[in-house]
Amino acid sequence: MSGVSKTFRRREGGEHLALSAIDLAVAEGEFVSILGPSGCGKSTLLYMLGGFVAPSSGSIRVGDRPVTGPGPDRGPVFQEFALFPWKTVLGNVAYGLREQGVARVAAEARARALIAQVGLKDYETFYPKELSGGMKQRVAIARTLAYDPAILLMDEPFGALDAHTRTRLQNDLLSLWERDRKTVLFVTHSVDEAVFLSDRVVVMSRSPGRIKADVTIDLPRPRRRADLLLDARYQRHVIDLERLIDDAPDVGVRP
Amino acid sequence: MRGLATLPGLPPLLAIGGLLAAWQAASLAVGLDSLPGVPATLAAFPDLIRDPDTIRNIADSLRRMVVGFAAALALALPLGILMGRSRTFARLMNPLLMVTYPVPKAALMPIIMLWLGVGDLSKTLVIVFAVSLPVIYHAYAGARAVEEKMLWSAAAMGMSGPARLLRVVVPAALPEILVGCRTGIVIALITMVTSEMIARQSGIGNLIFNSLDFAQYETVYAMIVVVGVLGIVLDIAFERLRTALVGWASPVGEVAVASA
Repeated sequence: MSGVSKTFRRREGGEHLALSAIDLAVAEGEFVSILGPSGCGKSTLLYMLGGFVAPSSGSIRVGDRPVTGPGPDRGPVFQEFALFPWKTVLGNVAYGLREQGVARVAAEARARALIAQVGLKDYETFYPKELSGGMKQRVAIARTLAYDPAILLMDEPFGALDAHTRTRLQNDLLSLWERDRKTVLFVTHSVDEAVFLSDRVVVMSRSPGRIKADVTIDLPRPRRRADLLLDARYQRHVIDLERLIDDAPDVGVRP
Repeated sequence: MRGLATLPGLPPLLAIGGLLAAWQAASLAVGLDSLPGVPATLAAFPDLIRDPDTIRNIADSLRRMVVGFAAALALALPLGILMGRSRTFARLMNPLLMVTYPVPKAALMPIIMLWLGVGDLSKTLVIVFAVSLPVIYHAYAGARAVEEKMLWSAAAMGMSGPARLLRVVVPAALPEILVGCRTGIVIALITMVTSEMIARQSGIGNLIFNSLDFAQYETVYAMIVVVGVLGIVLDIAFERLRTALVGWASPVGEVAVASA
């Protein structure tokens, strides 16, 4: 995967410049967080990468190919989970594989393995409505990993979860990622989360959304939360990033 | 009356018992032939059931209701779902629906009779119209409410647009569609009877008015009981079907039954 650069405009009512002159290149296997206040267009940026929303101008490429629409090389994970409620946990995770033409037996075997990996071994026959938020998001992650996308697009995936569940899912995501090292774009508004997980943190500002800073997180891997919280470099990054966001010239625009 | 025995729990039985008691009390208090009591009405059933003419009338009614309901689904579901997924189509259709929804469909009977006669076609057509509207509205609401990100998730798996409509929008909207169908069943029953009362040729509605002409009041009340029981049986059957189809969904709000 070479890079992504783009400029675009979006209409909401009149002309509204949601994102302006965004240039961003992400290397293969890199874990990049996009950090910013709400309304800075960080999710929109991700949706354009996914091909769900078309940019008004500029171009997006994945590898050598321009992005023209959604595709199984880019797997989304949404804050809202967006599971198929009429499918069981197994049905949801196997869905993408079946869609790719994998035979039922093989698809279900792979789905079972993934469900076990995300810690839901005994929940294969459950329907989404019977699961907690954290469990739903585990299913959603397994469902996306199932069709083996080269890039994961995670849109505030832990934003709707309570603090405890959130921490556990961060730890589990990190160990999953440290095993197969997919490229990850991770949208969040949590500084701790961004620093804990990422190789790089891209800080955005609002109105119009611009990239304000691009910070490399040079913390060793594999990372363990207990070690990291005591690490002075981790603390330094958190403090610096928080200051960067505070400096954003958007005070007083709240309605 | 065997349908009643399958009702779950005591409260519904109590309610029906109370209704019958009130009916009987009113009958005794009024003391007119035109308000027969419960025993007299029930006593009319053996003769009615033995009469092939009654059975033919009921069968005619049910046939029109089933055909009309099925045709209404075939028409309304695609329309409603397309409205839910296309803003332009919804803006095109909405005024038409708003104009036709409040018109009592039985009021169209005279016009339709003028063109198509008093036979099956006219009556079935009125049922189709009446049932279509709630089904269109609920299919529209259901299809419109489908979470965009669920569709995006399917798109990322490589699913094409038409496949998403069929395999994501339809199942996701199904609980809401079934709410429309339930309202549709009640409306089909109402429209079935009223259309037969206007175009008196065959059917339960026809039988009720004929019996009235001959002062056979027990038969009138017995046929009203038949319609009521039909309604209960259909509703129980539909509820079973609903549980089987969308047991995965969180319960949807109770149905507001529109009048025809």
